[in-house]
Amino acid sequence: QNDLPVSNGKQYEIGVISVVGAKQYNEQTVIAFTRLKSGDMVYLPGDRISNVIKKLWDLDLFSDINLYATINGDKVDLKFEIEEVPELNKVTITGIKEKKTKDIIKDNDLNKGTKVTENLITKTKYYIENKYKKEGYLNSKVTILTRPTTDTTDTQRVDMLVNVELSDRVKIQDIEFIGNEQISDAKLRKQMKNTKRKNLIRFWKRSKYISENYDEDKVAIVDKYKENGFRDARIVTDTLIHSGEDLITLKLSLEEGDKYYIGDIDFLGNTVYSDRELARQLGLEKGDVYNGVLLKERISKDGDPNADDLSNLYKNSGYLFSSINPVEVNVENDTIDFEIRITEGKLAYFDRITISGNDKTKDRVIYRNLRTRPGQRYSQAAVLQTTRELGQTGFFDPEQLNPQFLNANPYDGTIDINYALVEQGASQIELQGGYGGGGFVGTLGLSFNNFSIQNLFNKDAYQPLPMGDGQKFSLRAQASTYYQTYSASLTEPWLGGKKPVQLQLSFSHSIQYRYNFNGGNTARPDKDSRFLITGGSIGLAKRLEVPDNYFTISHAISFQHFDLRNYNVGLFTFGNGSSENLAYTVGISRNEGDVNPIFPRTGSKFSLTAKLTPPYSLWNGTDYKELADTRASLDPVADQTEISEIDQERFNWLEYYKVKFEGQWFTSLVGKLVLSSKVEFGFLGAYNNDRGIPPFDRFFLGGDGLGGYALDGREVIRLRGYPNQSVLPQDRVDNSSLDASDGATVFNKFEFELRYPITLKPSASIYALVFGEAGSSFDNFKDYNPFLMNRSAGAGVRIYMPAFGLLGIDFGYGFDPIPGTVGGPNGWETHFIIGQQF
Amino acid sequence: CSEYQKALKSEDMGKKYAMADSLYDSGKYRKSLKLWEQIVPSYRGKPQAERIMFLYADAHFQVEDYYLAGYQFDRFVSAYPDSEKTEEAQYKAALSYAELSPNYQLDQSETQKGLDQLQQFIAAYPESEYTEDASERIKELSIKMQKKSYEIAKGWHKIMEYPTAISALDDFISDYPGSPFREAAFFYKLDSQYQYGSKSINVLVRPRLEEALEMYETLTRYFPEGEYRAQADEIKLDIEKILENYS
Repeated sequence: QNDLPVSNGKQYEIGVISVVGAKQYNEQTVIAFTRLKSGDMVYLPGDRISNVIKKLWDLDLFSDINLYATINGDKVDLKFEIEEVPELNKVTITGIKEKKTKDIIKDNDLNKGTKVTENLITKTKYYIENKYKKEGYLNSKVTILTRPTTDTTDTQRVDMLVNVELSDRVKIQDIEFIGNEQISDAKLRKQMKNTKRKNLIRFWKRSKYISENYDEDKVAIVDKYKENGFRDARIVTDTLIHSGEDLITLKLSLEEGDKYYIGDIDFLGNTVYSDRELARQLGLEKGDVYNGVLLKERISKDGDPNADDLSNLYKNSGYLFSSINPVEVNVENDTIDFEIRITEGKLAYFDRITISGNDKTKDRVIYRNLRTRPGQRYSQAAVLQTTRELGQTGFFDPEQLNPQFLNANPYDGTIDINYALVEQGASQIELQGGYGGGGFVGTLGLSFNNFSIQNLFNKDAYQPLPMGDGQKFSLRAQASTYYQTYSASLTEPWLGGKKPVQLQLSFSHSIQYRYNFNGGNTARPDKDSRFLITGGSIGLAKRLEVPDNYFTISHAISFQHFDLRNYNVGLFTFGNGSSENLAYTVGISRNEGDVNPIFPRTGSKFSLTAKLTPPYSLWNGTDYKELADTRASLDPVADQTEISEIDQERFNWLEYYKVKFEGQWFTSLVGKLVLSSKVEFGFLGAYNNDRGIPPFDRFFLGGDGLGGYALDGREVIRLRGYPNQSVLPQDRVDNSSLDASDGATVFNKFEFELRYPITLKPSASIYALVFGEAGSSFDNFKDYNPFLMNRSAGAGVRIYMPAFGLLGIDFGYGFDPIPGTVGGPNGWETHFIIGQQF
Repeated sequence: CSEYQKALKSEDMGKKYAMADSLYDSGKYRKSLKLWEQIVPSYRGKPQAERIMFLYADAHFQVEDYYLAGYQFDRFVSAYPDSEKTEEAQYKAALSYAELSPNYQLDQSETQKGLDQLQQFIAAYPESEYTEDASERIKELSIKMQKKSYEIAKGWHKIMEYPTAISALDDFISDYPGSPFREAAFFYKLDSQYQYGSKSINVLVRPRLEEALEMYETLTRYFPEGEYRAQADEIKLDIEKILENYS
């Protein structure tokens, strides 16, 4: 340890060191802490001794420290006299409701054992006073006393008595303005967002007086003047008058000054953009009212990185180090001439791009998605897009994503970015068991959103599961005595690691047995009648660069094998036989999403897909016309066997095509309110009309839109306010050959949803919504009528928790009757929503 | 009831202490840890605390609970800076952080902390018996940091973002002059420039490939016998062939 003399300090040898007043800490401990030893040489006065005292103070354990030095020739005896800070025993808060005391205790850590320092007392006092000031108790008084307790231990403990003397809550009776000629009192009062007069009608906002809000509102008044050309407006005085018991009146005296207009605007220092381009971006013209607030916003709007202002014009093209200053160069009568002085600075380039906080997700999974890259020209838009896309992965908490700009170097024109991430749970588990349908039903579902399939057999990677390669992996099994389904899927977003080519694999197998009612009331599964479906699909999706990089093109091949043994379902007219569904799906989609995929505020999504099977009827030589004619001539009851045979031939390899379109927009309305608008269309057709459209892959409209258990690849389209899958084609009422178990081949649907977030914390996101939607389905394109709709409206709430996914409930009112039924509106329906839906 | 269970439930601190001590000595760290947990608070500020805190920290270390071991050793060092065990404690604190260092593809805050602490240790105790081991660990951890930085830079090459790869590899080369990945970095820089140049629009092919040839010269000057030499020579031949068509 270095020791330096202070002024003309002399060096002494330490003799005896003693400590007086130590109770809780023994003498030796204190001496050891000072690191002074008998025999050491110290200066008096000196650096080392003062540091020792400072260190003791820094401990916050002592309320008083005195050092006495007894000099004895060359030697010095040191005596530390300390007074230990007492510990808190019990705190009593009087004057307010008990419920409120808990918060005070919690927020100030007034727990047993806390050291009662001066700082703690002052802090607590300030905290309480401030808390009540904010609630409108302007003149509350807080007194804090401490009293030693008699405790059995050596430790000195004190009780804390906090007395809160609440003043009466002050309300604002009136706000008066003096000197305003150009803007009325009412308009000025409207500017004051949080300082309001007493008003019986306006019951939702109280007329409290909170000085911070008042200060903000005074700025708002001056801004209002500035917006209207009164550049020099100011508040000369403002007075607070007690105008009655618990009432105050605020008197503001204003000086408006003159109204000014914009004169010439000159741009100086611009080389990248021409005067004309800059003038257009600025959007202010000669002769406009001089609006100081708007001028500032047009040049650089604080707090909005997406703003369409001058400084972002520069920043998005790489001029990070540019600065723009408007200067008034000439004031003539009421006209002000401006110079907008621009220092463009060096073009900025990204240098080092780093990631922190990725405790699970591997570097390459993150880096490959970055749109800000070393050596690239700086672009603010690229930073925002990267942040948004990182949020959309679902691996990180979107509300805590934070790009940090580091080492901005205007001389070299470089800047570093560190993306600080916070990992969030990306796995979901579904486990259900229950007694239903005469037997036990169990479901186990696991879905991992950030899986690492290459580490499946690496036991070190199990912490608790192999994670971090950005793959999606899900497994699901559901079983009861009557049916079993198993499915698995895997998604690798960067196949091969070179390009964002997404590979998707899925497999599913299900088996269903017939109920056997022979044993009386209880049904048993009949293992001799079964229906088996095995299928799989493989798909590739690729991000496109043209027309823009939000586009994705996808291809998939899917195959399903249906095998029936002694099993008649509505789907097929044959009970023994098989059918194959081989199809190719091509889709193009554009997804410009928001940072938060759970609660998007901006962006849009479009997708257009076509699912095609090979046109077997072109080459397989079967005369489907003849088959159709024969079938039509047969009697549906008497000739069932022949019909089965014909249908087995018609559906041995399914033949159809399907086209779907979906579009969704998110628009931020007022405040946090978001509007989601969505349209959907779908069309299923046959290549050979004699062969006909198979009963598979059809559209079922109505209800919550949850897929559930379906054998026939049906697509369930949500239409709230109606029972599940109830909205059949209107014209089917007259056409009796089809019934409710047949889906439609054409549908359209329109949906508007207003969403309001209640909380967007990582542990749970909750939002409320109201919706209005309309949809209809048809059996034939010829019947399509866009005005024939089943309409509904309602409200609901969604809760998203990372471990459970999305849960929700909606109440919808159907304005129209269910097709095929007569009578008035369908009325209210309740829908439970499980799983992600947008 | 075993002796151990009795000691756990006992009120007698002396008995617990003796039991914990003997368990520690016979290598039963996990059991002793439970006892130390109970003992530590009541000896705080007393002369025995120095020994107890060290053993407590070391028990964490022995059961490979490095997170707590690091924290407890750190506390020991700041509480007893003059203890004869301080040197060992400081070394083991640093070692604990080093043990927490995760896979190079993840966040390396722990690695950095381990590195810093080991370096501090060597600076404070240059003559220590642990110094050699500590240097070894420092080397290991810094190679991990280098690998991370190198792999990230090379990642740009893999996804065919060649200009980005060149900037990132340049940063890597200037950040870690003595790295074992240096040759590879030079090579991938060359390959990036070669790929970038040969896929450029016509007028840019020549200047860009000529720049690649300069990179080849740099690589072979530094690493004339390197493991990437053969691949680099192939690239050079290819570049020369392409350039003939552009002369």
